[in-house]
Amino acid sequence: MASREMELSGLHQSSDPPRGPLAELVKRLIYPFLRGEAPKPRTPTGFYTDTTVCIGCKACEVACKQWNQLPSDGFNFSGNSYDNTNELSATTWRHVKFIEQFADESSGQIALPGTESNESLLNRWLMMSDNCKHCVASPCHQACPTGAIVQNEFQNIYIQADICNGCSCCIAACPFGVITRSDMGGHSHKCTLCYDRQRDGLEPACAKACPTQSIHFGPVEELREQARKRVEELHQRGVPQAYLYGDVASETYSEMHSFYLLVDRPSVYGLPDAPFNPWLHMMGDYVRSVTGGLAGIAVLLAVVFLLKP
Amino acid sequence: MHTDSRPQQGLSKPSSPERGSETGYEHLPVTKVPGWHGIIAWDALLNGMATGLFLAAAISELAAPAVFLRVAKVAYPVALVLLLVDLGLLVLDLGDPLRFHHMLRVFKPSSPMSLGTWCLTIFSLPLTVAAGLSLLAEFGWDFEWARLGAVVVGLLPGFASAAYKGVLLSTNAQPGWKDARWLGSYLTNSAILMGCGELLVLSALMGQTQATGILRTGFNVLLVVNVIPLGLLFMNLRPAHALLYTREQQWRVGAIIAAGALIPLGVVLLKGGLMFILVAVIVLLVESWFVRFVYVKIPHTSPLGK
Repeated sequence: MASREMELSGLHQSSDPPRGPLAELVKRLIYPFLRGEAPKPRTPTGFYTDTTVCIGCKACEVACKQWNQLPSDGFNFSGNSYDNTNELSATTWRHVKFIEQFADESSGQIALPGTESNESLLNRWLMMSDNCKHCVASPCHQACPTGAIVQNEFQNIYIQADICNGCSCCIAACPFGVITRSDMGGHSHKCTLCYDRQRDGLEPACAKACPTQSIHFGPVEELREQARKRVEELHQRGVPQAYLYGDVASETYSEMHSFYLLVDRPSVYGLPDAPFNPWLHMMGDYVRSVTGGLAGIAVLLAVVFLLKP
Repeated sequence: MHTDSRPQQGLSKPSSPERGSETGYEHLPVTKVPGWHGIIAWDALLNGMATGLFLAAAISELAAPAVFLRVAKVAYPVALVLLLVDLGLLVLDLGDPLRFHHMLRVFKPSSPMSLGTWCLTIFSLPLTVAAGLSLLAEFGWDFEWARLGAVVVGLLPGFASAAYKGVLLSTNAQPGWKDARWLGSYLTNSAILMGCGELLVLSALMGQTQATGILRTGFNVLLVVNVIPLGLLFMNLRPAHALLYTREQQWRVGAIIAAGALIPLGVVLLKGGLMFILVAVIVLLVESWFVRFVYVKIPHTSPLGK
């Protein structure tokens, strides 16, 4: 996509103003400082992903790639179940994970769900469609020095690709490993929660394509309500381990606008068990940093005053 | 340097087809490493050298002008050159270097990178004036009041430019880095120490005996003081290092760093001439680079035993 898009964008348009090196330079310098009118806030939207009904069809991955015109990553055999996507990246904004929890065949141990305390002997598949968590207090948003990462009118975290300069602060800050920098252009990219589709009143491509309604899209409050009812239902149906991940804030992390219904520990799904917002340390780190510097200056001053003629 | 951000290598190991039996995600890293490698270690060193030299020269000059005036006038242009090289590295490290000015679109105190960029930009102005007027004074155009004014104005942004770097490298989700609570303290203190060392070399080169004598003492005391945040930083990093390196490797790194602190101290205590001072400061700079390099490398290093 990108090469074709770049090729097309390079073509001269009849409506374009006359270009020259100086005009181009001035445009490059001034453009990032121009501001449009901020859109009015809308109802916060998000995803609720029910992993218990995911069948691992990867329709969400395909729909995301197709709608957002993301290039193929090539075929890489990972050896990790049916997952050859491996990870979220600048060109993969949805990633279906496969977890095989089966008893070791050689041991002959077979267990039925709910009858075995050892989770590894449940004989089940876990599948989960992962994406950006669109955290309410997102570390990537806090870290971005250019203002390229914004919280848009739907309270989703959005990277303005024309502003990002590829400093990688967001990559270092994200505790979920969602964001990466692209080889093409050197800018960071991730799930936009189909901002363009939302503005036109459409649901995101992945949710639209999901054949089992594992991916739900809508106003976050409604999704939370729906998810809690589903957890209660699962508890009543003999799945006591079902719980929601990211629907409410913890002591160390904000709530997420893309949250999940899980039936095993978060780390089993490749999620941090207790996500931590690095910004909770920032003030203390500044205090220690300034103290260290002031101590050095005090020593130097003292020596100069004591020894000067 | 500017390749795609690779999966996190630190503290856990990704699976490979050869190890197909190791399926699932529990053994895989969650975070991704930013493409910050050697350039950032050099950036952290040059940032400290430039801001430290300016601060040491400014403080010494303002406290004892009669002793430090001449050496300070040489120190400011040197600090400017170091800062320009550092800024060049920062620009080169971006995924899209032509968009460097986008950093100045917004001022975001919540982002250490934004705060640092603004501090460096503001600091570069009085430093340039101080350096320029110091050079002009050599040719007979002496604007002493303006030069001193620029030095005073540069103190706060200069200090802030030294102080932000450690916070930038510790306020993130990367394994090891996120636990380095004393990194900022070490880097800022180290900047003053390196600045004092550089000023000592300049004063010795210029034959300023009084300034050399005072700075020699200051350098020694600062070397001892700097061991405190360095020790605290290594306490922070011990769990990460234990996963990444064998005990022998840890001892080796510790021995190199300890030697880097003790050798300059011993050499300067010998009260030798210019050569002794040069050796002491060069060893200190090498040690300072090594500490930064070891730190920056943490998330890029594969762990042991996995």
